[in-house]
Amino acid sequence: MLNIKTIDDTTINERVYQLNLGPQHPSTHGVLHLLMKLDGEVVVEAEPIVGYSHRGHEKMAENRIWEQFLPNTSRIDYLSGLIYNHGYCMAVEKLCGIEVPERAEYIRVITSELNRISSHLLGIMAFVMDIGAFTPFLYGWDDREHVLDLLERVAGSRLTYCYNRFGGVRNDIDREFCDGTRRFIDRLRGRFSDYHNLITENIIFIKRTRGIGIITEDTALDFGVTGPTLRGSGVGYDVRKNEPYSVYPEFDFEIPVRKEGDVMARYQVRMAEMEQSMNIIEQALDGLPQGPIRSKVPLFIDPPAGDCYFAFESARGAVGYYIVSDGTRIPYRIKVRTPSFSNLFVLTRILPGNFIADCIATLGSIDVVVPEIDR
Amino acid sequence: MPTEERKKLLGELKNSLSGALPEERIISGDYAKTGCHLEVRLSDAGMLRVASVMKEKRFYLETITAVDFPDSFELVYFYSTWHQDFCRLVARIRISKEASPRSVSSVYPEAIWLEREIYDFFGIRFLDHPDLRRILNPDNADYFPLLKSFGKTKLTEEIDDILC
Repeated sequence: MLNIKTIDDTTINERVYQLNLGPQHPSTHGVLHLLMKLDGEVVVEAEPIVGYSHRGHEKMAENRIWEQFLPNTSRIDYLSGLIYNHGYCMAVEKLCGIEVPERAEYIRVITSELNRISSHLLGIMAFVMDIGAFTPFLYGWDDREHVLDLLERVAGSRLTYCYNRFGGVRNDIDREFCDGTRRFIDRLRGRFSDYHNLITENIIFIKRTRGIGIITEDTALDFGVTGPTLRGSGVGYDVRKNEPYSVYPEFDFEIPVRKEGDVMARYQVRMAEMEQSMNIIEQALDGLPQGPIRSKVPLFIDPPAGDCYFAFESARGAVGYYIVSDGTRIPYRIKVRTPSFSNLFVLTRILPGNFIADCIATLGSIDVVVPEIDR
Repeated sequence: MPTEERKKLLGELKNSLSGALPEERIISGDYAKTGCHLEVRLSDAGMLRVASVMKEKRFYLETITAVDFPDSFELVYFYSTWHQDFCRLVARIRISKEASPRSVSSVYPEAIWLEREIYDFFGIRFLDHPDLRRILNPDNADYFPLLKSFGKTKLTEEIDDILC
């Protein structure tokens, strides 16, 4: 962090100027608009302006039946759509008390973790590209392609999945999917040394990321920061461990935590998390039980009147569905707590005092997905 | 045992909450059904006092939301811990359609954006809010999309009738 002198009020108009970063800027991850006040190259004030891709998912939810909202969920965060899909199903199942067969839960975990790997791969590589390294991006894209192929095989689509159903999943997974997943994991494990060579040990990358954009634990608490961004600041909070859902308690995995709170720490947490996801997938494939993949659920569900909050961990942090039912086939209210919304707002606190080039690195390391903020 | 520790934490929380809010109703929630361990029903502008207690206990503000009921709004605040013994608290307050609730943004800066979002979608104006503007909808919009009265046409009502 730079020590800037406080700017004298009389000179502020002459020295400080405004810069619009985005909304159409290659390094702002979608249509994010950052309005920055700069003194030379140093940021004095930064304000994210959001809402360019607002589609009104929460209003849409109130105009359709519970099942019809399923495809919407994966479009909220298009990079970890399956996780949102999974979470919505679990929230409604909790409200209605629907039982899910064990095999279905295992399949859900496998596909969700694959989705998490693909999301982290894209997040890391796009971030590295933002600060000037183009080669790792192509390597990462290559690996991500394999995940998308696997998920396409089982879910039918490559990005905006609608695979989970109330009470189970749509399709069963076959031997080819299991073998392909194992092959992919072996391959990705082998690629990690390349990534560490290309990125982690790269002197330019280290200089651009060490000690930059530090989020302290108290700042994180003030702004409700969650996910890898929080775990880079020394707090081991992961919904999968702290508030276990689905079959996660049956697997043996760790929550990677770094203490530094800087851009490098967040990058390292994401890298370590991919390895943990691979461990989970392997354990789930080993212990995959036989049985049905979907329980008997009526064609139209009628949840009892009431409300419930269900939290789960997406690739970016803690997501929550707050659903209110008035006992009809149409949801009364669905509120989605999206992690990027809070993670982005923390920028107003951490960007001032930094160089504008470091802003790009900080923004990339938080890994925001703008449609998730805008909903 | 995490359950024992959670019981202890919940007991402490109840005590400090009932100390700060002597007149409010604090009830144990059914976690398996609602996803919350504790529920506080506020009757007046006690949300600021709840927020201060929760900040002291190092809970983070998960989200704030509003629900549009026929005769009133319900504001819902979710707080939860980062500890191993996880605990979630929900604070609810019913306000009339014209009321202006107090902002909790002085305690949790995150609430600046969350309350802006509620203003944006429901038209609820928060008192003492530093920056109450539109956030996701256009700045010049004259509608509040998540009100139940918004977007209701004869056609949508017919569709609702068919679906229900």
